[in-house]
Amino acid sequence: MIRLDNIEVTFGDFTAIPQLDLHVRPGEFFTLLGPSGCGKTTALRTLAGFIQPAKGTVWVDGQDVTRLPSDRRKVGMVFQNYALFPSMSVWENIAFGLRVRKEKPAESDRLVRDIARRVELSDEQLPKNVAELSGGQQQRVAVARALVLKPKILLLDEPLSNLDAKLRHQLRQQLKDLQSEFGITTVYVTHDQDEALAMSDRVAVFNKGVVEQVGTPQDIYDHSATEFVCNFIGDSSALTPEFVAEVNRVSGAGLSTGANSYLRVEKASVDAPAHGGVAVGLSGRVLSRTYHGLHSRYVVRSHGADIRLLVKEDGGSHPEPGTETTVYLQPDHILQYHQDTGAALRQQDPAAALP
Amino acid sequence: MRKLQTLVAAAVAVTLLAGCGGGTSVPAASGEASSAPATSGDTLVVYTNSNGEGRGEWVTAKAAEAGFKIEIVGAGGADATNKLIAEKNNPIADVAFGLNNMYFSQIKAEDALEPYEPSWAGEVEEDLGDGETYWPLVKQAILLGYNSDKISEDKAPQDWTDLWTKDEFKARYERVTGLGTATAQLVFAGILSRYRDDSGDLGISDEGWKQVEQYFQNGSPAVAKTDLFARIASGEVDMGQMPSSIIAEREKSFNVNVETVIPSVGVPLAVEQIALVKGTEKKEQAQKFIDWFGSAETQGEFAKQFNSMPVNKEAGTQANPEVVDFFADLKQQDIDWDFVQENMGAWVEKIELEYMT
Amino acid sequence: MSSTPVRRMARSPFVLVVGVVLTWFIAAFLVWPNINVLMATFFPDGSFSGRAAEKLFSSQRAMKALGNSFLLAVALSITVNVVGIFIVLVTYYFRIRGSRILFLGYASTFIYGGIVLAAGYKFIYGDKGIVTSLLVLVFPGMDPAWFSGFFAVLVVMTFATTTNHMLFVANALKGIDYQTVEAAKNLGASTWTILRRVVLPMLKPTLFAVTILSFLTGLGALSAPQVLGGRDFQTITPMILTFTNSPTSRDLAALLAVILGLATVLMLAVMTRLEKGGTYFSVSKVSSELQKQDITNPVANIAVHAAAYLLFAVYTLPVVLIVLYSFADGAAIQTGQLSLSSLTLDNYVRVLTQQSGLRPFLVSVVYSALAALIAVGGLLFVARLLQKYRNWVASLFEYLLHIPWILPSALLALGLIISYDRPNPIVGGAVLTGTTVILLIAFVTVKIPFTLRMLKASFASVNASLEEAAAIMGARTLYVFRRILLPLVLPAAAAITALNFNSLLDDYDTAIFLAHPLVQPLGLVIKANTDGAEGVDGVANTFVYTVLLMVITGITMYLVYGRAGRRGSRKRRAAVPPVAAAAAPPPAGASISGEDSKLPAAPVR
Repeated sequence: MIRLDNIEVTFGDFTAIPQLDLHVRPGEFFTLLGPSGCGKTTALRTLAGFIQPAKGTVWVDGQDVTRLPSDRRKVGMVFQNYALFPSMSVWENIAFGLRVRKEKPAESDRLVRDIARRVELSDEQLPKNVAELSGGQQQRVAVARALVLKPKILLLDEPLSNLDAKLRHQLRQQLKDLQSEFGITTVYVTHDQDEALAMSDRVAVFNKGVVEQVGTPQDIYDHSATEFVCNFIGDSSALTPEFVAEVNRVSGAGLSTGANSYLRVEKASVDAPAHGGVAVGLSGRVLSRTYHGLHSRYVVRSHGADIRLLVKEDGGSHPEPGTETTVYLQPDHILQYHQDTGAALRQQDPAAALP
Repeated sequence: MRKLQTLVAAAVAVTLLAGCGGGTSVPAASGEASSAPATSGDTLVVYTNSNGEGRGEWVTAKAAEAGFKIEIVGAGGADATNKLIAEKNNPIADVAFGLNNMYFSQIKAEDALEPYEPSWAGEVEEDLGDGETYWPLVKQAILLGYNSDKISEDKAPQDWTDLWTKDEFKARYERVTGLGTATAQLVFAGILSRYRDDSGDLGISDEGWKQVEQYFQNGSPAVAKTDLFARIASGEVDMGQMPSSIIAEREKSFNVNVETVIPSVGVPLAVEQIALVKGTEKKEQAQKFIDWFGSAETQGEFAKQFNSMPVNKEAGTQANPEVVDFFADLKQQDIDWDFVQENMGAWVEKIELEYMT
Repeated sequence: MSSTPVRRMARSPFVLVVGVVLTWFIAAFLVWPNINVLMATFFPDGSFSGRAAEKLFSSQRAMKALGNSFLLAVALSITVNVVGIFIVLVTYYFRIRGSRILFLGYASTFIYGGIVLAAGYKFIYGDKGIVTSLLVLVFPGMDPAWFSGFFAVLVVMTFATTTNHMLFVANALKGIDYQTVEAAKNLGASTWTILRRVVLPMLKPTLFAVTILSFLTGLGALSAPQVLGGRDFQTITPMILTFTNSPTSRDLAALLAVILGLATVLMLAVMTRLEKGGTYFSVSKVSSELQKQDITNPVANIAVHAAAYLLFAVYTLPVVLIVLYSFADGAAIQTGQLSLSSLTLDNYVRVLTQQSGLRPFLVSVVYSALAALIAVGGLLFVARLLQKYRNWVASLFEYLLHIPWILPSALLALGLIISYDRPNPIVGGAVLTGTTVILLIAFVTVKIPFTLRMLKASFASVNASLEEAAAIMGARTLYVFRRILLPLVLPAAAAITALNFNSLLDDYDTAIFLAHPLVQPLGLVIKANTDGAEGVDGVANTFVYTVLLMVITGITMYLVYGRAGRRGSRKRRAAVPPVAAAAAPPPAGASISGEDSKLPAAPVR
């Protein structure tokens, strides 16, 4: 559906994206994830036609659109702050593109009302000024405005970033629902890994203008291809060479002690594993415990590494800070990356990683 | 930030000073100390409308030689008059000069002048002033001048009324666009006086007002910031009103030649006067200044310098002979100044409202 | 900002102190003198006289002039917007080659105006003007006096009063969220559609505000009609000035002023209504900076470039000529014949070496600076309170503070003289006439309405939560004001101070009545030196003074805007918009009112 081939984007002397290849499949919810300044928005804007790449080709639906202006690429866009026209009503905002296309008023009205209904904007809201709407309603207007023109692709530029946590959660779902309902190919930009994991079919993780990894949320979580991805996604503890050596000694696993090693918090435990699997136990001392209701967060020092882990609060007794305990883990859950290149040392088999 | 605080503090301080600082009538406030001169005590403040073209500087310098420290405050005739009247309860000026009898009689009517008989009172014709508060200095004829390079004397208008009754002059004369100047008011005093009719509107017959209407309808309106002589030089117009004292100099500057019309009824003569302001704290000093300024010697020098026509008979001998001859031949129009003064405000208003198109 | 009960407002000591000082000031310098002068004019013998109305309404000339003033006001509201929006767009919105140079040309109206500006245009387009001479060569049949009457007045005043657009509209434009432009592009809108349907509507509140200013400027037009109006197009202001100066006709002046004042108030009311619900606070918290737009159509692009440079020439030529003419002798200026050989430094030597020399400049600078600082400094507190508290007391104060807007400054000055020429308990038994303070009071007074509106606007743009945050941490009102609010509105305050300063520098109307004879400001000296009746050098002196004033105002503007612009990171600028919302006084003669603006409260952010 969308292909970015060998794209290079420069701003004056600054190279924002040195080389980028991406492929987005039809109907897919595809997310560009990364910290600010990583080039994800630049990539999106290149796709939208607001930025001309210095090199490379942008394909949409089999057509080379690299030199086409934004409005002829059949892409709809929802902006970071929605960019609703403050001087217009909801109806006028949604109908804007139709009016530009000189659609007949009656037909425009039908299309506007139709799309409004589908994004669950009521008729009473249509004549209102957009400033009178809540954040969620504004988002629907922005989506409706983009979708009413029946684009092939919907681009979403951090549409949730300015909202408070609760609303963000709600709207995240709303967006996802809208996307599934319309079945439209969607490219989504965010710096929030939760959002990316929860909403996307596939995610591209950006770092310094380069895509570090493309994959399903699970893929990039469990098998982070680079150290950057591992650190950026999820929550992990950095392991010391002594710790890794100890794991090797206890389990006989052949882990490298010269690599940068990480262990995700949920992969470690202070309880002996209930289910099967090759778990090893390492001794350590509880440094701290923070109560979080459903669970508590522990920090356990073991062989020089501060291992963070979660303990489910089920009423049972748990080790207190200062006491000795044992950290259990499976050696194949340890993620290892080359010290210099940051590349994953072991290309794990995705099937083997399933819980 | 600190700077800001100081700034605000200063501003506030000054506000307070502005409010309460003027606790005395001493004409200097602490807030203005930097620019207020320290020696205002012995300086005579002189209001005049006759300070232009270097006159103010000349008088100041000459007065200093004679031992007077004066400060000239220049303002147009009407402005100076208004100012003197407005300030009558707490006068700032000590002496006023240059205003004509019409203005001074207004000021006198408001009781803002102090009677004083100058030492030179005997050297001037008493009836030129009021013989009591204001005393004559300089004669000024208000004339109709025409471009003599273009119009020969026999083809020239004989009187103001010719301007709008004879077709060849229509649109060739400049007419005023405002009646704020003394010259303009005197021109109308001259015209309207001829049509005095106590049963008419504002003491003027319908025929008189008709003349005014015609004057405005047929003249070429004056242009702001463009001198009449400049317009004559460029051929836009050929004639217009002018006070006698400026003619010689402007002819030179604009390189034109102008002759003047002496109507059979005569020309309005404005007499610039000098008077002592009522309530001055430097009365004695001010009187001495008046004695000095109106003296034959000073007026003579002034006349020589500025081509004026002094009323002081002795001073006349020093004046430019051409000027003296001109005034000797000049027939003065007989104008009832009391009548004019009484009505001028209303006339100006009527003309502004009804005739000035 | 909901309304605050008066009783609660009165509980704050800060409010009480400011309130007492303010009440005293308003009573002493705004209400009492003006009541005095109005009583003296309308009730000359203790009973009301309808004479003025009768006289005025039966005067064809007065009615025509009044009609002309209104016609000019309406026409100007349209033309200034057309030209103003165009120059703002070519300097800030479209990608035009050399837009920085264009800006300098368009900004020339910041530093000069009034009669000199009108004269400058006359030198170019008048019957002996340069352009006219060229045109006559090409079209021998044309009337050399083509540039006069309503058309000429409108043209000159249009170009003279785009200052407000360069200040307000430009700033509102810079505040637009660029994403809305991109969104419109994405939806297929053309450059023209985006401009017309997205950008301009977002500027609407600001455009309303500057339209009011243009209207008022047209209503108070003085110099341009005098110089270019000719017989057929004279306006009411010159008549007001004439009548003000004649004691017997002062009631007419007051009545006319009141009529214009009412029209002003009416205009404000209408605009406020139209504006309701029209202030567009952009929905977003972050906005992206405006990027210049290409005009894609090559024909349109060339046309816009051509128009932009043509306007540049129109704006710049008068300034160039004024500077040139300031070196020419009086006769050459008056007859319009300029040759290189006639350019000398004589005029400057004459002006700067005369007995009074530089002193009037100093006096004016000190007076203007003091007045500007006091007006801004004092009103900082007042504006803050009026912006914070909304109730009838606050509204009353606000209306009262607008009094100087309605009456011509000459009338205000007369009011001060006749009220304080004898000991008056309201000012502690002092006599103010004849002191140096009285002019300062008048200067402060005339600047109040403009300063108040501008300051209120800039306070309104300050994020309310900043103040709340400080209050929660236990900061006292004054402390919050000093440490939190003041720094935020300071750029605005500085700009307003500069504009006030500039507009007071050459004041004549007030100074002629109130100046201390020994401390005479520049306006009086300029008048004495430039009156046509006072010699051929007069006009040359006018040009010299204009150039000197241009230099001073230019420096002031540079200090305030130039430096702020250089610092101008995005963040910094965010605090400035309402500042820049500070309107320069409409240059072409706004002696009646017109010197103020409706607050363009950084409507689009």
